[in-house]
Parts: sequence; C-alpha cells; structure tokens
Amino acid sequence: MPKTVGIPRGLFFYEYYPLWKRFFEELGAQVILSEPTSKQILDAGVKSCVDEACLPLKVFHGHVLNLVGKVDYLFIPRLTSVSKNEYICPKIGGLPDMIKHTLQGLPRIIDTEINLRKSSSNAYKAAYEIGMNFSSNSTEIRKAYKKALQSHEAHKEKLKSGILPDEIFSKKSARIHPKKELTLDIAVIGHAYNLFDSYVSMEMLAKLRKNNINIHTIDMVDESDINQMHKALRKRMFWNFGRRAVGSALHFLGREGMDGVIYVMSFGCGVDSFVCDMVERRIRQNSDIPFIVLTLDEHSGEAGMDTRLEAFIDMIRWRKLNESNIPAYG
Amino acid sequence: MLEKQPCYLGIDVGSVSTNLVVIDEKDHVIEKLYLRTGGQPINAMRDGMKILAEKLDDKVRIKGVGTTGSGRQLASVIIGADIVKNEITSHAVAAQKVIPGVKTILEIGGQDSKIIILRNGVVYDFAMNTVCAAGTGSFLDRQAARLNIPISEFGAYALRSQTPVRIAGRCAVFAESDMIHKQQTGHTLEDIISGLCEALVRNYLNNLAKSKEIKEPVVFQGGVAANIGIVAAFEKALGIKIVIPEYHDVMGAYGAALIAKEKMAAGSSPTNFYGFQTADNEYQAKSVECHDCSNLCEVIEIYSNGDVLARWGDRCGKWSSLGKASEVVG
Repeated sequence: MPKTVGIPRGLFFYEYYPLWKRFFEELGAQVILSEPTSKQILDAGVKSCVDEACLPLKVFHGHVLNLVGKVDYLFIPRLTSVSKNEYICPKIGGLPDMIKHTLQGLPRIIDTEINLRKSSSNAYKAAYEIGMNFSSNSTEIRKAYKKALQSHEAHKEKLKSGILPDEIFSKKSARIHPKKELTLDIAVIGHAYNLFDSYVSMEMLAKLRKNNINIHTIDMVDESDINQMHKALRKRMFWNFGRRAVGSALHFLGREGMDGVIYVMSFGCGVDSFVCDMVERRIRQNSDIPFIVLTLDEHSGEAGMDTRLEAFIDMIRWRKLNESNIPAYG
Repeated sequence: MLEKQPCYLGIDVGSVSTNLVVIDEKDHVIEKLYLRTGGQPINAMRDGMKILAEKLDDKVRIKGVGTTGSGRQLASVIIGADIVKNEITSHAVAAQKVIPGVKTILEIGGQDSKIIILRNGVVYDFAMNTVCAAGTGSFLDRQAARLNIPISEFGAYALRSQTPVRIAGRCAVFAESDMIHKQQTGHTLEDIISGLCEALVRNYLNNLAKSKEIKEPVVFQGGVAANIGIVAAFEKALGIKIVIPEYHDVMGAYGAALIAKEKMAAGSSPTNFYGFQTADNEYQAKSVECHDCSNLCEVIEIYSNGDVLARWGDRCGKWSSLGKASEVVG
C-alpha cells in the first residue's frame, strides 16, 4: 500500500500544490488533500489556533485537523524564504512548530525547511530531504524533483493566463465572456490564500465576474515587470509577497485601461498592514484610479463586503460613463 | 374620480431606523417617514406601509420602488422592489439632487459611518467604517440612555459646554470608561458630552477620512446629523460650514426613490411593487440564541408560508448572510 501524504488546503497550497503533488506521486506516495474550507473547518481552526493569529493561519489549522486520521504524513514545510534575499511572514516560517505545539494526535509531520534566501539550489537539498521519506534512491528523487518543477512551471503559466486555482484544480473553467461594452478591468491584490479561498473571500472573485469584471491578479504579471517597478522603490522590500504586491500594483497603475484596484487584506496581518499602505499611498499620489481596501476576518459579514463591492463597481461605472452623461447607477 | 398621481417609493431599512420616502415625477418629497427599526425591520416596514396607505393610497400610484440600507434585500422581498441599491450610491444620488455640486458627504447612521467624495458630479472615492461601530448613532443612543438624557437633547447639552474634556474616541468601550472616569472626578455632563462629540468627530476624521480631501460644499446626513453637538464638532475640526439637508435623516430612502424613478424611466416594464396592502401578510419570527461568541446574539429567522425569508439580529453578520441566496452586486 502506498504511503499517504496529507496536504492542507491553505496558505501556500494555491501556489505550490501541483509541485508538491507531482513530487510525492513520482515517488510512489498518494496525496490526500483536505476538503475545501467550510464553516466546520474554519470553526475547528479558530477553536484550536492561538487567538492572535490571522484568519489564514486559523483556517490552516482547520485543514490540518481535517486530515487527522486519514494520512501517514502531513506535509507542512518550514517555508522561510522562496526567493533570494526575501523572507516570508514569520508566522509561516514557524508554522510547523505552531501546529505541533497546538494540535495533538497528529501523524508524522514532514517539516523540512525551505530557505532560498541565499541560493535557490537549496530547493533541491530540501526536496532531497523530503524525498528520503519515500525513497533511498537519489536518482529517483532528482527525477521526481525535475518533473515536479515542470508541473510547477505549467501551473504558473495557467495562473498567468488568468485561470484561477479553483478552476485549475477542478479542471472546470468558470470564465465568462462578458459583453464588451460593460466589461471592467480590475486588479485584485492580496495573498493567494485569501483571494483564492472562496469561503474566506466570500466568493469575491465569482461576484466580480458576475458583474462582467476581468480580474487581474499578481500571478498574472510578468516577474520582470514586477521587478522593474520594484526597482523604483527607495528601499527593496523585505518580503517576497511585498515585492510582488507593490511591483504588480505599480505595474497595473501604468497599464492602459485598468479601471480600479482592490486590495484584499487579512485583519491582523503584519505584512499586509505595510504593503497595503504603500500601495495605497502610491496609487493616491500618482493616479486617480479608484482604489478600495477590503478587510477579511472571520466576523466580517458578507453583507458588509457586498455593499462595499457593489458601491465600488457603481462608482467605477458612474465615473467611466460620466463623460457621455449616462447615469450608471440605475 | 381624480387620476392618481404617479409617484416613486424609496425604502431605506437601516439597523436603527427604517425610512420611507415617496417622491413625485418632479423629484419632490411628498411624504417621508423616519421610523425606529427596533430590531424588527418587517414590523417597521409594515407600520410604514400602513401609514403611507392611509395618507396616500387614494391619491398616488406607485410607479417604481427602490430599496437600500443593510435590510435592502429583505425590503425587496417584502415590498417588491424594482431596484436594490447600496447605501453609498443612494446617499450620493440624493445629496447631488439636494445640493448640486456637493463635493463631500459625511454620513453617520446607526451602525455605520461613511464618507463619500464626489468630483464633477460623480462618486470619486468613498470609505466605510471597518470592523468597529464606535462613534455611530447606536453608541450615542446608548450613552444618552446611560446618562438619562433624551437623545434629541444630547447636542444641546454639548453646545452648553464651556471646556470640553478629552474623551478617547477610537473605541466605544474606552470612550465609555473615559466618560465614567471624568464623571466621577466631577466634570459636568455638558463638558463630558461635548468631549464625546469631539472624540467621535476626531475618530471619524482620523480613520474614515484619512487621506481624503474634504472640499466644500460638505453635506452631513444620516440620523446623527440631527445632533447639533456633532455638527458643531465637525465645523470646529474642519473649520468650514457644513450643510444639513432638510431631509437629512431619510436621504438614503430619497436616493433609492430617485434611482427607482430613473430605472423605470429607462425601461418600459411595470413595477414589481406588491401594493400598500402587502404589508398585511403574516410573517412568523423565530429566535435562536447564538453561542459562538460572548455576544450571545439573538438571531431571528423570518418565515412566510414555511419559507425562510431572512435572518438577522446578529452583530457579526454571519447569520444574516445565511438566509438569502447569494446576491448579485452592482
């Protein structure tokens, strides 16, 4: 019987799942994913996680609990850095410890550190260490790693083309082909685990699409464009997410035909509190493009978000059509 | 028999007040009602409809209905609306009609506060209070009740103050303990109330109005605009004259009526309005205590003919968002 590896559907899942899955499967393991986020998962996470943590961490705890009893291993890598000279949020860096000390009765946790701050060649070292749990053959591990990288590249390409993770994983495309004259282009900036978890984001992306809005995310911007914009900052960003968020926001600002920017932040997120403010200042100083911050938390009722989204879309349509003097709010 | 006058109805079901406005073809208000929601929006709406029926049923014919406010979906279900609009757009449309060229709208209602920036006659930017309802009407209500002063006289007390005391305005809990502390050290009620008005305004300007350019004409609407203490505190802090529209307390409903009129003029379909008698229908309410947090809110479920029409009564909004089908924004 193959060994089973559980992957919680939270945090970096949206960016790395195809890589992780392929790697484990190439080594003969079976990957089991936690169920999509639900009230039950959220409640279980909120109950077990330390109170001060942000919502995404609480949700992650819920996903871990969802896998207990179903798998031989839990894959919770210690993600310290995924890019040169940049860090990830310290809570994510300490995630395996947090999980181990908060939750009881867990299967074995694979918590290998992934730290690419100094060199990206550390990625293979980490993969080798992880692979050793399933194979003692280094050639086999290297081969699995290469295939996994191919899957990762393919995943990034799909994200870049505008397909959302949900659609990639379910292989169902929900993309609509909006009527041209009513279509708006809106950039939605935020952590992947907030945007793409439809329970956490209260179906925000689906709601935008229903309103004939083309969604543009960080994942859809060329890394070179992000870096070019990032260079304009007086000081480089400390976090990988920070560079990508600020860089892509500035890129969207300069792009023709962008109708608005939505920043989605987690209540209590340290990284967001800096990055969001930087993005907002730059947008307000350098443009008059409509901008709104939506804060996600476990208590933010859907009605509150709907009102803000609705008013934001109304505002954009109203502003756009103002010149032709057609009221758009009706 | 005289021909009935064609009119439009706007309903704003807010957390604290339920407002109804009937306008004629020339946008004049021919009837306005400001009723306390009292936690029971359906009853408030039925009361409102009864009053309107007695006054207007033989004189007017409703050609269109618009609903707004946090209970806008519910109002639409019960009254039969032609358009359901968010509060931001409704308030902006109404303010524009009353004060053409308005550039800033300050709005403080029962549970939320907003700032709307208009430029060249369109909504240019807006903000709503985030997770906290400190500094809104219901907090003032509560303090008035605690101090044994009718809310209608609250502002007059503030104006009689000689030396306002400093009250913390960021959080309602801190504000209350500050007020109690000042009262125990012997400050007069007038000075404490005036200090509270200044604290609320400071909080509003520092949070909501942060990085927004407040340009004249400035309109102040919502129930709290009736409070002359708050108005004075705004004028003092901003150093400019603030305009209070005649129908400041029902501007949301007025806006909804205007939007309904515009919508009906654009199409040829008849109104969805069920008629003034619709409010005679029976609705059953069931209440459940929610134990998910220390608030222990009483959640109310509304049934008609065995179907759940809506849920409310929760502070966090998680129950109220359950009862309805997902809403299409925009």
